[in-house]
Amino acid sequence: MRLLKILQRLLAALPVALGVAVLAFLFLRFLPGDPVEIMLGDTQVSKQQIAELRHQLNLDQPIGAQLVHFFGQLSHGQLGTSIVKNEAVASLIGNALPATIELTFATVLVALLIALPVGVLSAIYQGTWLDRAVLSGALLGISMPSFWFGLLLILLFAVEAHLLPTSGRISSTLLVDKRTGFMLIDTLLAGDLRAFGDAVRHLVLPALTLGVVFAAVLARVVRSSMIEALHRQYVTTARAKGVREAAVIVKHALRNALIPAVTVAGLQVGELLGGNMIVETIFAWPGVGRLVVNSIFARDYVVVQGAVMLYAITYVGVNLLVDVIYTFLNPRIVL
Amino acid sequence: MRRWKWLGIIVLALLVGVASAKKLSFVLDTTDNRADEAQAIASQLQQIGVDVQVRVWKSGVLLDAIKAGSRQAYTTDWGSAYFDPFDLGVPKLTTGGRGNYSFYGNAQVDEDFQIASTTTSDAPRAAAYKDAQQQIFSDAPWIFGYVLKNIEASSSAVQGWEPAADNSESMVDASVQGGNAIVMGMRTDQIVTFDPAMYRDRDTEAVLRNMFDSLVTHTPSGDVVPQLATSWSKVDDRTFDFTLHGGVTFQNGDPLTADDVVYTFHRILTPGAVNGDTSPRAGLLGPLDHVEKLDATHVRFVYKDPFPESLLLQALVHFQIVPQAYMEKVGVEGFKKAPIGSGPFKFDRGSLDAQIVLTRYDNYWAGPAKVQQVVFRMMPEPSTRVAALLSGEVQIIQAVPPDLVGRLQSAPNVDVKTAEGTRAYQIELNNKVAPFDDVRVRQALNLAVDWGSILDNIYHGYAQRLPTAFLPSGFGYDASLEPYPYDPARAKELLQQAGYDGQ
Repeated sequence: MRLLKILQRLLAALPVALGVAVLAFLFLRFLPGDPVEIMLGDTQVSKQQIAELRHQLNLDQPIGAQLVHFFGQLSHGQLGTSIVKNEAVASLIGNALPATIELTFATVLVALLIALPVGVLSAIYQGTWLDRAVLSGALLGISMPSFWFGLLLILLFAVEAHLLPTSGRISSTLLVDKRTGFMLIDTLLAGDLRAFGDAVRHLVLPALTLGVVFAAVLARVVRSSMIEALHRQYVTTARAKGVREAAVIVKHALRNALIPAVTVAGLQVGELLGGNMIVETIFAWPGVGRLVVNSIFARDYVVVQGAVMLYAITYVGVNLLVDVIYTFLNPRIVL
Repeated sequence: MRRWKWLGIIVLALLVGVASAKKLSFVLDTTDNRADEAQAIASQLQQIGVDVQVRVWKSGVLLDAIKAGSRQAYTTDWGSAYFDPFDLGVPKLTTGGRGNYSFYGNAQVDEDFQIASTTTSDAPRAAAYKDAQQQIFSDAPWIFGYVLKNIEASSSAVQGWEPAADNSESMVDASVQGGNAIVMGMRTDQIVTFDPAMYRDRDTEAVLRNMFDSLVTHTPSGDVVPQLATSWSKVDDRTFDFTLHGGVTFQNGDPLTADDVVYTFHRILTPGAVNGDTSPRAGLLGPLDHVEKLDATHVRFVYKDPFPESLLLQALVHFQIVPQAYMEKVGVEGFKKAPIGSGPFKFDRGSLDAQIVLTRYDNYWAGPAKVQQVVFRMMPEPSTRVAALLSGEVQIIQAVPPDLVGRLQSAPNVDVKTAEGTRAYQIELNNKVAPFDDVRVRQALNLAVDWGSILDNIYHGYAQRLPTAFLPSGFGYDASLEPYPYDPARAKELLQQAGYDGQ
């Protein structure tokens, strides 16, 4: 039953993705700027050469015909070829996605490791100095611009302390063959533990940069819903039954308090999977965010369309995942 | 009745007087990277009573509005790949030129450019460019700007490497004390391709030029010197012969012959020759018809129209020779995965958007390079590049922003180095519509901007004022032409003559 429901939801995501693709297609065409002009840059080329290039890229056709062409390709399961990079969009996104997913997982890990204990403790010790410190820390975390925090971490941990690398995904001397695109998996597949450790070290700073902001948001949600849960009657009942305090907090209160936290985390993960242009630029992380923003600037319509569809599908997928997690946290919730 | 008529004339004259003694006001369009500069210029112009509003745009959007002719004044820049105004002055200032955003037109300048683009000997070309500069200077179609220095930095342990005006980043003579590998932090987030026929940007070229050789190459200062060609000669105004170096091999062991040279240019000149795609590089070669083989070590370049030899040589620096047999065997896709050239370094591993590891080609015809390995790492954020150099992760970094130079200079064991820039920055004025259809107004603005203080404060002196649109590193530059001086009094006078009282 649950599987069927999940399948239904996934199928319902397709029209959403297509609608988003059409909107993206039209909006992009109305954006001023010409990909061919931008691509040719400052060069002495004849009008005829420009026209030829535009024809070859299918850009000399009316918008309607381009849209038909786009859907024709889509019906064959193809996202098209990048105007600027002359490479299949699917492979461009496929190349960038593992880097972003890897960073997202690391970020979520950092965020959970910080937000859960901090949020729970500050709820338990509500109103004490600890709680106030957590609240102001969270405010700081939310307000910090990521480019500033990221550079600060680089200066501290890479330049001053020499503990961690400044940027990139792996040291050039340890670069292993690409198989999955996930550096952590590829290094393990190559059986190179040193390279694996090196890849982990490269993950730390970007994951911290993104994770601290994420944790700040999450910790506040965990704290407030935990405070609410701790005042519920079932907690009082559990305590009255003589359940150990640790079990009361984890099994009775936290489990119920997690539902709003999962909602917030889901939204954040959806955003993270779209890639963060700023963090990816600072840490020289070849992810989706950089790909998409650069494609927008280059007016590489085809890449942006593909990426926007991916975003739509990702959001639908993450929301579905959140709903599934709800049913585990509270079996009374049905899909 | 007569009295009334006179009164009417006096009133009319007063009205016209008030209307003509108006204040000059306009919008200065700019983009993020030059917003500070635009603000500084605006406040300087306000001092002589010109009302300037700065508007900051996204670059692609602004360009469309400029081309539509709906803007008045805008910060622009244009890079030159040749050390010749052929791809800077010509597209920017020929009537109807591709980059002529000021809508400037002067028949004599057009004729000068025509002469310089088709005459084959140097003296008349230089004379034509000189005349064009004089004309452009007095027509003042732009507020002439500056050229930024190309600032790069390296660890003091690195020797034999210099930044180059064309960003070639040649590593063949580079060595590093106590090490066998050099890592360079590139300014871009990715290079485009490993196929020498399919790119237009300098960052891709920097990597490719370490893997592939060309017929000729530049010294860091821009002089053309032999590489795969040992000598060349002009047969007539449209025909040029090149003699190839004997005994050159590609990194897979195949010999490099005239066939490879012919094949390389055939791929670029023929539409659809690269797997159905057309190379975007043909325009760089001018009206080249074809390249033919004379014998195993001689090739001939045949032009449709007369073309200056010096321009051909400048262009050939940027065309890397590919191995025909290997390319045909593995196909374009295979080649992009495992590129083979005849250069000092061979592709080892890596990806275009992260890092590219090259290893030394031991049978390099000019003798093996000094280091075993060169790594190009994509690091688009300048602060990260600086941090990586300071932490010792990389040995060389590109594109140091002027405001971070101080940080590097205060660090031990780091050298900041500069090369001439090849990109002109300016403020273009729309010459077609008022107020900038009046040459006095345009000249006045050129006199009213104190570039000395702007370049010192914003670009920390890493910029050189330009008298016109021509670069000092380019052929035919008129060094005797002084930029417009900072003379607000004279600017006010000119504005008054043009009917702006500046009050």
